[in-house]
Amino acid sequence: MNQSKDPFEAAYEEQEESPPDSPLAPADYDRRPASPPSAAAPASQNAATAPDDEETEHVNPSDPSPSAPASASAKIKGKSKEEDEDEEEENMEVELAKFPASGDPNKMAKMQTILSQFTEDQMTRYESFRRSALQKATMRRLLVSITGSQKISMPVTIVVCGIAKMFVGELIETARMVMTERNESGPIRPCHIRESYRRLKLEGKVPKRSVPRLFR
Amino acid sequence: MSSSGAAGQSAKPAKAGSSQPSETSVKRKRGMFQKDLQHMMYGFGDDPNPIPESVALVEDIVVEYVTDMVHKAQDIGSKRGKISIEDFLYLIRKDTPKLNRCTELLSMQEELKQARKAFDVDEEKLASLE
Repeated sequence: MNQSKDPFEAAYEEQEESPPDSPLAPADYDRRPASPPSAAAPASQNAATAPDDEETEHVNPSDPSPSAPASASAKIKGKSKEEDEDEEEENMEVELAKFPASGDPNKMAKMQTILSQFTEDQMTRYESFRRSALQKATMRRLLVSITGSQKISMPVTIVVCGIAKMFVGELIETARMVMTERNESGPIRPCHIRESYRRLKLEGKVPKRSVPRLFR
Repeated sequence: MSSSGAAGQSAKPAKAGSSQPSETSVKRKRGMFQKDLQHMMYGFGDDPNPIPESVALVEDIVVEYVTDMVHKAQDIGSKRGKISIEDFLYLIRKDTPKLNRCTELLSMQEELKQARKAFDVDEEKLASLE
């Protein structure tokens, strides 16, 4: 295939090279030239989320629209740093035009209708959601320091990054729920996060240490 | 702050409001995931500019989470010396969204590997033709 890599990977490369200072980076967003998505469409369509069906069901109801279709694209980008960085701008446009769903035309149509009706704000948030990822290199360093062994395979790093991102998602969404319960607004504060962490622990989503952590 | 760490802890200072320093090695610096976490928090519903203390707290929590998971995986993995994917998949088997996500990531990796292999073969052909 004449396109050396998946558009999502390219989009990740682009993001990695020039991370905007704030999550709202208008320069980043506007820089995309219009580009033909068709070339990249089939390749990444297949690579994109096969089991997206399940993921849409598991969406946390507290934050439906921006985070609705958890997709593999952010993760694809996260895992293929080895590819070259061509066609980044084209792929950024593709990434958002690409409505990730399984091959199921119903799902695709639904995704398309949802995404086409996003406001500007929702679109940037969705873009951040899709494209954010924890750095593989940093994660690998962390894993090495935890295990003490240098042999951490690539799949392990990628999977751990994915799991950690989903955990962050649970944390933030629960924190938002806590905020709405308390009728507060604005940015999330550490007290909300602590409360959300406490709730996640009660739900059993956080692994418990068999030995209690001694020195805090 | 004397409570900022046990003896020989990392050099990171105690963050305001954070009460969970993890017992990682001295190499860990502060703000390892800070930039990425800011984008991620925005994507999941936070403000476009999250409060720095919140970001630091989330990072601490995530590092602790990863640490605990890895320790459990090591325990499960019969102390092979390396961690295998199977151990992780076993750990998150109860958590369906995460499990689905992981299987998706792994299958995606396979696809990408195949695609890259195919691309390399094409390139070689092109090179040989020239």
